[in-house]
Amino acid sequence: MPRPAPSARRSSSLLPFYIILGIVALGGGFFLFRQASGGGGAPPAATLQPVNLTPEQMQSVAGISKGSPNAPVVIMEFADFQCPGCGRFATFYEPLVQEWIDNGTVRFVWYDYPLPELHKNAVLAARAGRCANDQNRFWQFHDHIFARQPEWSESDDAAGIFAGYMKSVGGDEAAFSQCLRSDRFLKEVSESHSFGSSLGVNGTPTLIINGKRVSDMPSTRAEWQQLIDQERGAAAPAPTAAPAAAPAAGPVAPAAAPAADSAAG
Amino acid sequence: MTSGAEHLAAELEDRPPLARMGIALLALAGLLVSMYLALYKLGYMGIIQCQIGSCEKVQASQYAYFLGQPVAMWGVGAYIVLLVLALLGTQPRFARERWVALSIFGMALGGVLFSAYLTYLEAAVIRAWCQWCVISAILITLIFLLSLPGLRQAR
Repeated sequence: MPRPAPSARRSSSLLPFYIILGIVALGGGFFLFRQASGGGGAPPAATLQPVNLTPEQMQSVAGISKGSPNAPVVIMEFADFQCPGCGRFATFYEPLVQEWIDNGTVRFVWYDYPLPELHKNAVLAARAGRCANDQNRFWQFHDHIFARQPEWSESDDAAGIFAGYMKSVGGDEAAFSQCLRSDRFLKEVSESHSFGSSLGVNGTPTLIINGKRVSDMPSTRAEWQQLIDQERGAAAPAPTAAPAAAPAAGPVAPAAAPAADSAAG
Repeated sequence: MTSGAEHLAAELEDRPPLARMGIALLALAGLLVSMYLALYKLGYMGIIQCQIGSCEKVQASQYAYFLGQPVAMWGVGAYIVLLVLALLGTQPRFARERWVALSIFGMALGGVLFSAYLTYLEAAVIRAWCQWCVISAILITLIFLLSLPGLRQAR
């Protein structure tokens, strides 16, 4: 009996392989599409893990806050101005929370968590933020510096660039530069970092909402609403709809600290 | 009548190219992993799924870039080339071509060395692990091992 040509037999023996390959490609492609389009379906509930947060710690470590001191929901962010993930959070996700900050539901507190082993200008940027806060311009500076992250991240003259930013947000450039040249706020930045580490923060950005660490960070307004509603209690009325991309620059963080956190400066 | 050697050659010719199939499947898996990281790095995904380790920290580090491009994008390119080569290598016309075997071996060797460097960075410099990077390192190591028989069989 004549043997069929090897190529014909090979083609038929490869069919199951092509089917398996196709299934893997389709399954993987579907997973990627779902991830890229926000997970699909109903917004997943954010995973919250309680952290060991004592009132004494809150009193002793300086954060920089915006929003009502009496807000029922307190979101603490541990972040590094030079971390790209923090930049994305500040640009795309934090603005989604602004409406709840404006209506008194949320108080948002910034804590420095610089990663100098990864980011050469991280500590300088953190101190620059505190120097800006000294002039009640932290949140404007925060938005400005994040929006221009690639411009200064690897620069050898980040201090000069930051001084320019300070001028752009209407601050006193000379006083800012003087602040930056000194070692002012190094202690606060260091304490803030240690505070984060003591709470188990090991990456940035890390959010802690009402004392619980947020594992699956909300990325849509609906997810934020779900999380904030959950935290302030189901009885409270929902905030009125506002443009999702409202500007992040809210009221300037007051120098006077709310009871739970002391604003720097 | 065929000689023993010809018979053996025909038998080998008839065998499904299991190693190349394995390489293609592993390269496809690697491609999906790299695409996932690249989509995150390019800002198409807000959050990275990371049950083990600290993917955010690794991806936020300066080492997540190589020659001005995200490392994940290099991974996408390399896995596409490996997938195409492996698929070519399953075809009778190319199965025993030396250049196919050498190309797969060379790509896999380069991938293993680069992954070893990245794994060293995760362990010693960044001090954080990214589960997807570790999965990719395992995949490229398996691809490298599967590329070895092809070298022997190539004409």
